[in-house]
Amino acid sequence: MKNLFVMTIALLVAMTGMSQKFYTKNGQINFDATSPASPEKIEGINRSATCVVDTKSGNMQFAALMKGFAFERALMEEHFNENYVESDKYPKAEFKGEIKNSDKVDFTKDGNYTVKIKGKLTMHGESNDVETEAKISIQNGKIKATADLNVLLSDYKVSIPGLVADKVSKTVKISVSCLLEPLKS
Amino acid sequence: MKRKKIIRYVLLSLLLIGGTSAIYIYKEYNRTHKDTARLKPVYSLTATDLEKEFEGNETATTQKYADKVLRVEGIVKEVVKDDKGFYTVVLGDTLSMSSVRCSIDSLHSKDVMEVKKGTTLAVKGICSGFNADEMLGSDVILIRSVVDLKN
Repeated sequence: MKNLFVMTIALLVAMTGMSQKFYTKNGQINFDATSPASPEKIEGINRSATCVVDTKSGNMQFAALMKGFAFERALMEEHFNENYVESDKYPKAEFKGEIKNSDKVDFTKDGNYTVKIKGKLTMHGESNDVETEAKISIQNGKIKATADLNVLLSDYKVSIPGLVADKVSKTVKISVSCLLEPLKS
Repeated sequence: MKRKKIIRYVLLSLLLIGGTSAIYIYKEYNRTHKDTARLKPVYSLTATDLEKEFEGNETATTQKYADKVLRVEGIVKEVVKDDKGFYTVVLGDTLSMSSVRCSIDSLHSKDVMEVKKGTTLAVKGICSGFNADEMLGSDVILIRSVVDLKN
């Protein structure tokens, strides 16, 4: 009986150690289109993005519902969904890519790393190659990851009406922050 | 004399129209979201039924529920607090990876602080769609959610 208990614990510890995939369903994505001429911050926050990282292959994936972006002002949110990103037509934004130097990261013990991320960002029905740096922090078996990315709205065929063209930045800053836990299969 | 009177009336009318438009634009520009706690749900259903409906036909169900106020009742699988203090209540079948995930309006955070896993809870929120994922399980997302305290 005692042996069975020890074996079960050992198996559980081994399974956690072997976990290759980490995930979250509470990833936070900030969408900031504030320009120097904006009368106020044009910022939307999505707190329900999903993210999966395979620590062995370095592959990673993000997904977020466009209607999940909350803006402080109702009018701003309506314009974002109806006129700019057309959320009814293109409900999701996705990123599929990889950590280019994942072999430099020891996911089994605590530590901080800067990694390179490369992949395809799909938004508003358009896909483009993107590349950025991310900060990864391994703490107590979890991965905290943050990254900033600048994207040109024109690359995603998001057009800004002439009347507010100088009030909305042509380059949007996308900031991602998430805490990934081991995925138990 | 008559001409002067007409000009005066036209100027006054223009001023009135201009003033009214300015007030409307100002109010519309500064309009904030309505508190979900004060909104009547358009649909009221259980978390598992909502999940099943989305899984059955995502497109039609998204058209039906997106942007609508839903009242969803279900078993609390998890209450997640992120590093910035925002809460998400996860409702649904405890044996499934799929759920209804309700981002709680920060004005109503205090209502979920004491919510326990395994209890039954009703939440009102604005449906923002369905995030289908084969590996992680598919979730219905509600934003600006509040606990329905009437029950």
